[in-house]
Amino acid sequence: MAGRRAATKAIDWVAFAERVPPNQRAMFNSLKTRSDSIAAKLASLPEKPATIDWSHYRSVVAKAGMVDEFEKKFAALTVPEPVDTQTAKIDAQEQEASKTAAAYLEASKARIAEYEKALEKFRNMIPFDQMTIEDLNNTFPETKLDKAKHPYWPHKPIADL
Amino acid sequence: MLSRLVLTSNPVLLLLLSLVQASRSFHQSSQSLAPVPPLPEKGGKVRHGIFPEELFTLLYPKTGVTGPYMLGTGLLLYMLSKEIYVINHETFAAASIGAVVIYGIKKFGPSVAAFADKLNEDKVAKAQEVKDQAMASLAQGIEDEKKEQWRVEGRHMLFDAKRNNVAMLLETNYRERLHMVTNEVKKRLDYQVQLQNLHRRMEQEHLVNWVEQSVIKSITPQQEKESIAKCIADLKVLAKNTQARATV
Repeated sequence: MAGRRAATKAIDWVAFAERVPPNQRAMFNSLKTRSDSIAAKLASLPEKPATIDWSHYRSVVAKAGMVDEFEKKFAALTVPEPVDTQTAKIDAQEQEASKTAAAYLEASKARIAEYEKALEKFRNMIPFDQMTIEDLNNTFPETKLDKAKHPYWPHKPIADL
Repeated sequence: MLSRLVLTSNPVLLLLLSLVQASRSFHQSSQSLAPVPPLPEKGGKVRHGIFPEELFTLLYPKTGVTGPYMLGTGLLLYMLSKEIYVINHETFAAASIGAVVIYGIKKFGPSVAAFADKLNEDKVAKAQEVKDQAMASLAQGIEDEKKEQWRVEGRHMLFDAKRNNVAMLLETNYRERLHMVTNEVKKRLDYQVQLQNLHRRMEQEHLVNWVEQSVIKSITPQQEKESIAKCIADLKVLAKNTQARATV
């Protein structure tokens, strides 16, 4: 009667909570409450069911052999363990998540590289008070005045002054 | 070439050019170096506003400190005496204009220079601020990305939690089934026991009733009359006894 199930891993909810980004906190909270309720329900059920006092029944019940028959059948009975349909799905989800996570990490690394490049540019820049206008235009292309589009000084629309 | 940063839309450009105050800088060397080395803050030194210091340094070894002054005085006297420079009314005009100009420059020069410098510095400070903000935001962005990467690493916890939930649900279900089986069997046995008890009780009651009925039936009318007479006699005796006791 003592079937066995896959052992549950101890989950560190505190560390888990740290890793949750703020925009997913609600989902995390609902997951936690659900998990806690399931755990509470599990804890409330005793592991082994109450044993049946066969000798008492044997002495009380008049019908001969009934108790013995019950006892035999009861001992022979095995309760089937519930079939686990979800773990495979969860594993599949985990694979998916790993893939998207890898893609996200790649994108994140690319972004970090971009930021690093821009930071390098800023760090290697000559100080402003030693720049010429040419240097300024080279460093910040957006400051270059378009002399073709606005041939007359101030080379930009008056409203932008 | 102006080597100070001249950002666009600087309306003080002309003002700067007209100042002789040593707040503008000159390109000292004729060589061109790349990258441009930092340029001097102040221009070449001059004495009395016009005469460059190099003249004095040139003449010092030969003529000492007073050399250039003697040269200047001599030149001036030569030009006056030989009438190379003729004194006329223009001379007085030049002198007065020169006096006023020099007075104006000496009095207001520094403040105007400071004002122009401040304008420039504001522009530089703004640019610097933009640069600092950009660098700070970039650094912050890098930090945030790293944090997000760290967060992603913890994704296995979610799936562990889910698997745990599933396992716990299965175990709960299994235990419920066990309990149900036991309870059902117990209920059946209890039912049998209760049934037996009920039977016995009913039999008992029925037997008792039947015995009672038969006893009542067996009492013949003769016996009934005798027993009633006996009861009345007993009652009379009892009444007498009680009356006797009451009066005593």
